[in-house]
Amino acid sequence: MDPDRRKFLKQSGIGIAVATIAGPHLLLTPAEAKAKNIPLKVLTDSELKTLEAIAEILLPGSAQAGVAYFIDDQLAKDPNDSLLIARYFQVPPPYAGFYKGSVQALDGYATATHGKAFHQLEVSKQEQIVGSLFPEQPDGWQGPPAPLVYLCLRNDVVDVVYGTMDGFAKLDIPYLAHIEPPTKW
Amino acid sequence: MSKKVDVVIVGAGAVAMVYAARLAEAGKQVLVLESGPERKPEDLYSSQLWARRLKWSTPHVNEFGGKDRIHFNMNAGRGYGGAAAHHYGVWPRFDEADFSIKSTHGRALDWPISYQDVRPYYDRVQEFVGISGDASQEPWRPPGEAYPLPPIPTFRHAQLLEKGFRKKGIPVSPIPITVLSKPYNGRPACIWDGWCDAGCPIGAIANPLMTYYPRALRAGAIFQPDSHVTRVLTDKSRSRATGVEYVDKSGNRQQQEANMVVLGAFTIENTRILLNSAEGGLSNRSGLLGKYLMVHPAVSVYGLYGEETQCHVGATGGHLYSATTDKTGNPEGVFGGRHWEIGLVLKPNDLLGVTMSRPDLYGEKLHDFMKIGSKRMAVMAAICEDQPLEENRIVLDEQNDLFGMPQAKVIYRASPDGMALAEQARLEGIEIVKASGAEQAWSGPVVAQHIMGGTIMGTSAENSVCDGYGISHEISNLVIAGQSTFPTGSHANTTFTIHALAERTSDFLLKTGMA
Repeated sequence: MDPDRRKFLKQSGIGIAVATIAGPHLLLTPAEAKAKNIPLKVLTDSELKTLEAIAEILLPGSAQAGVAYFIDDQLAKDPNDSLLIARYFQVPPPYAGFYKGSVQALDGYATATHGKAFHQLEVSKQEQIVGSLFPEQPDGWQGPPAPLVYLCLRNDVVDVVYGTMDGFAKLDIPYLAHIEPPTKW
Repeated sequence: MSKKVDVVIVGAGAVAMVYAARLAEAGKQVLVLESGPERKPEDLYSSQLWARRLKWSTPHVNEFGGKDRIHFNMNAGRGYGGAAAHHYGVWPRFDEADFSIKSTHGRALDWPISYQDVRPYYDRVQEFVGISGDASQEPWRPPGEAYPLPPIPTFRHAQLLEKGFRKKGIPVSPIPITVLSKPYNGRPACIWDGWCDAGCPIGAIANPLMTYYPRALRAGAIFQPDSHVTRVLTDKSRSRATGVEYVDKSGNRQQQEANMVVLGAFTIENTRILLNSAEGGLSNRSGLLGKYLMVHPAVSVYGLYGEETQCHVGATGGHLYSATTDKTGNPEGVFGGRHWEIGLVLKPNDLLGVTMSRPDLYGEKLHDFMKIGSKRMAVMAAICEDQPLEENRIVLDEQNDLFGMPQAKVIYRASPDGMALAEQARLEGIEIVKASGAEQAWSGPVVAQHIMGGTIMGTSAENSVCDGYGISHEISNLVIAGQSTFPTGSHANTTFTIHALAERTSDFLLKTGMA
């Protein structure tokens, strides 16, 4: 990888490793991973769609920023190396169980209340559902606790959009790194 | 089995590093077995996301056995440096009264030692590690040497909050903190970047990787990462430890023989290892192994101001401090002490960041809030004393971990006095923040910090697990180290006290030839 690109990715903050035909991994930011529609490691295409849909309600722009690809990449890692905030909420590892369960619960609740999977609903209904997840659990919700799902996913979107050097720049605050975070998250 | 050593230390966190340094410097063959990886300063990336690797993940701790949570993963550490690799360095001393609550007030427990027994070691540790502060401004501070470094500077967010305290007539001092206000003992001063939670790679805070670890290495202590200790091994009488069993990097069970075992694996693992080491647990004649689990109930109070507050810079743990140490002086007869950490740093994301101060916001409202909150907020945190309740305990879970050993399960409810203190603090904090000129003032939920107890010290095997040095009452060459030995929890952060106790016990072990 040429030094300029390495510097760009370093400054971009997040990197996702994708195996290439030549062997070495190509590092992408989550946004690049989204744009290139890279193969998923843990999530299914349908799970990705639901995650992206709720991400957009939680923080518009986070789907394009690649949050679902970030989550997918992290779910493939050893839990001790995971950067997901789920670990702070005592979610038992492996974290894939929680995320898949969350998607299933969200789609199940969306279907029960509005007749369609979450990502198929119009935005106003998606917003209605998201608004019901915290601080109390809505009646009929089945799966990981709804407030926990809400908090984890909400933190994930903020991590990807605002938790990087680029994110700090968007907020017009200095990053002040001792050691800049590497691109590969 | 590996070659026998003088001392095997379980865990490579703060206390382990003290023992490793002191005992190796005395010529002992020391081996430290750490479950997690080796960590070097260059691994400490300035990022709230990367900081998560420094915290606990596996073996999983089931903390849903009781009504309340202890937030273990956030509080614990994994890898060299342990929790202290990511701690914020706020180092008040325990109060004199903390050591004799039962004999003074007829409740809680007594320590088998007094503040005077520990005082010289607080002095010794602060001289080596460096604490910034001004003891003359702390009327609540117990006797001891003045801090070796002047106070850290305050930034606008702390200055605003201080105004609120002054208006309310509440005394405030510079925070006693191991963040260096000036270069000290070969370590540089802080650059006020607010990344303490991610670990400081330059040693401007008391990260064990930069304090006792280099001493331990220079003295010849051996550190072995990716070595998860599962049991303490004993002779048939269970009165003498012969070493430990651990699972190595390849997943194979190994045994390490030693003349002495030091358990420094933090509160939950210390207890779990002892419980897993024998039917009914080792050193458990009292039946109290695992019991008297405590935390510090903590609550944050936030302010949003009409000006920029520099809230993203400074020392993460805060800049100013105010303590209430008269345990019987609280309204409505609520018992216990508490203190305020004033002006903590707020990064945009993460559990203690801007985003979690308003968890109700999402969508465009969240975007808007992130933009103003990241520049115009301030926060302070009340750390409150929990009461030791025997019912609060660590037991073995029905589920096994990856190594085939039962996980730990936590059964905990916050003490009524602890929760009442947090509520009193919360209401007081809202008034202070309003008085400081904030446009908006609000509070967060009560969370748990600083997990203690489980292997409490006391006067005999009938009422405790270990003695005042942390030496097991029943196994004379087993030292239990760290805050799992605390019979009461104070309001004060624990890291200074565990360092002091480790220095004290090290002196004792060397003086008596026990090591």
